[in-house]
Amino acid sequence: MKRLHFCYEMSLKLDQSVRDHHFLIRCRPMENGRQRREDMAVTIEPADFVNEVIDGFGNEGYTGSIRAPHDSLSVKAEGIVRIDLSGHTEPSHPMYRFPSAFTMPDEHMDKLLKEIAAELGWPAWGVGVSGIQLCDMWKDSPLPKIQKDLEYMMSRLYGRFIYVPGATTVATTAAEALALGQGVCQDYAHAFISLCRLAGIPTRYAAGMMLGEGASHAWVEVWLKDGWLGMDPTNNRLVDETYIKLTHGRDFGDGTIDRGRFLGFAGQSQEIRVKVEEIV
Amino acid sequence: MRDMVEHMEGINRLMARYGVKFGIYKNREFHEQLFPFDPLPRVIPAEEFHYLEKGLVQRVDALNFFLVDIYGEKKIVKDGVIPEDFIFSSKGYLPQCEGMVPPKGVYSHISGIDLVQAKEGTWYILEDNLRIPSGASYPMIARELTRQASPRTFMRNHVVDNRNYAGMLKEVMDHVNTGGINVVLTPGRYNAAFFEHSYLAERSGAILAMPQDLYVENNRLYYRQYQGRQLQVGTVYRRLSDEYLDPLCFEPESLIGVPGIMDVYRSGNVALVNAPGNGVADDKGIYYFVPHMIKYYLDQEAILKNAPTYLAFYESDRKWILEHLERLVVKDVSEAGGYGVIFGRDLTKEKLEDLKRIIMQEPRRFIAQEVVDFIDLDIVEGDGGVPRKADLRAFVLSGKTTRVWPSGLTRFSRNPDSFVVNSSQGGGFKDTWVLSQ
Repeated sequence: MKRLHFCYEMSLKLDQSVRDHHFLIRCRPMENGRQRREDMAVTIEPADFVNEVIDGFGNEGYTGSIRAPHDSLSVKAEGIVRIDLSGHTEPSHPMYRFPSAFTMPDEHMDKLLKEIAAELGWPAWGVGVSGIQLCDMWKDSPLPKIQKDLEYMMSRLYGRFIYVPGATTVATTAAEALALGQGVCQDYAHAFISLCRLAGIPTRYAAGMMLGEGASHAWVEVWLKDGWLGMDPTNNRLVDETYIKLTHGRDFGDGTIDRGRFLGFAGQSQEIRVKVEEIV
Repeated sequence: MRDMVEHMEGINRLMARYGVKFGIYKNREFHEQLFPFDPLPRVIPAEEFHYLEKGLVQRVDALNFFLVDIYGEKKIVKDGVIPEDFIFSSKGYLPQCEGMVPPKGVYSHISGIDLVQAKEGTWYILEDNLRIPSGASYPMIARELTRQASPRTFMRNHVVDNRNYAGMLKEVMDHVNTGGINVVLTPGRYNAAFFEHSYLAERSGAILAMPQDLYVENNRLYYRQYQGRQLQVGTVYRRLSDEYLDPLCFEPESLIGVPGIMDVYRSGNVALVNAPGNGVADDKGIYYFVPHMIKYYLDQEAILKNAPTYLAFYESDRKWILEHLERLVVKDVSEAGGYGVIFGRDLTKEKLEDLKRIIMQEPRRFIAQEVVDFIDLDIVEGDGGVPRKADLRAFVLSGKTTRVWPSGLTRFSRNPDSFVVNSSQGGGFKDTWVLSQ
């Protein structure tokens, strides 16, 4: 068990005034068997009103609007979260088995999976996507063995990528990123999700914060029999108690932390600062 | 009937004046065209309508149970009646709606069920439309105008009055209303069915709202009146599709949505008619399973039959489809409005092979159906009548109870060789008379 203090700051600057601005900011760490909010404070300025909301995935956040002309929006969320990975079970949802907008596999993904299968000595399977059901194959395998296979899959994927900020955009898909061999955490996560789902393993996208200072982060959760295993393909490691999850969903599209819409023609620049420290 | 034909020209002229139009996008340009009205009605005898009514109510009730189940407990999946693939990888399934219960538990308030009658008399369900089925306004206004033009016709024939559609619609909106006014939300002037939006709003006493007229504040939805007065909204009969409804929840680039409306809906502070997420229950893949739903939720046999359908997803069906492709009609499950429909008999040998290959690659994407040889109805052309293929869209309204509107939209194909009757494909329409005895 770890107690983490976090601070999430987002600042949006607009080079001209805009109005009728509506926003959704999901910077409220969700509560589940793994993480508990011990303390939470949020300031959003300016805002006519702010409401706490929860969505169909279980993600929590704040919505609100600013009707009058303004040229900035700043959010500061701060709190203490207790993380405990031990003995946590959570059911899966069937939607996490299927490819989503960002994670459609292509023949290169298929080829990579087949290579991995050969390297791990998995039995040969039928042709085509629907023939592969790794979950069935793993039904009787002990968890450590499954985890080892997954870690191997992750390391193979990791080996195909170089971390290059700016090489991809928020609209880049898993297949595009794999072809490019470059990207940021979002791309690593999408590619790994695509690979796992191709093998029939329910997988979801997670966004949040990790220990230290910097930007927000994205990783992957893989469903193993009765719980989710957090895996961080960008760093080729398992998720431990130093990660705070803000959102999850089928892919980036579901798990976006900030969304908004305003009226006006303005250039915008957004800055996100995240700081997470362990409380000892 | 002769009176009706005499008045045809006058009625069509009046309809043009009232703006009874249908907009379509062709080559990315918006064209408005008249939806041609044929004066010879489809006539359904009382007894036959009673049978249809029972079958339609049963079907829509089962579909509503299915939607409650899918966004809730998912029992039908856990019990293995429908494979997960046809639900959770469907475009119409919206995880954003998970765990929500719409006001009064109704998902599909207005269902447009398309049927055809085979030559030997059997009615078959062609498809279910549970998102925003359009078309009720056309027979409404056609009836109104023909009554004016030829009152004698309606004195001599025992036709059930269909002018209560707006009343039925209002009852549904009032039933689910969470407190506030009823509005019809239209994406605007350039929508294919704008005439219908304004007509239904006027007739049902709801306010016709454009997206910019609605806004969310403190988890309530408001309508902005003149001089800045605000009115709380209790029911939105929204005529824009799910993905554009709320840019904070769905398509972020949507300019026609109402930001935050989904949160208000989730909190139970507004009713959306029809509920978002209904697409999971009306695509062509799930259609195959509707008779199974009726059995599962109601423990009844389906009264109205599906057209004989094969699912490429199942290996035995796939084999059958590939062997009999030239006599089947193949449909892409993700397309609607008459798009993505391929008749095997129209394809060359090469094209048939191509189609087979695509079906084998993506079996989940296709269904195949026997071509139902459905009846022709006479339409007026020149001085005489010519037979044309026609279907029927029945409107089923679910509020306190589920009821079928005693009328419907009969669409016909103007092309003598075509089985496709969709208005987006250039067809016309007829009034549908239900006889009272």
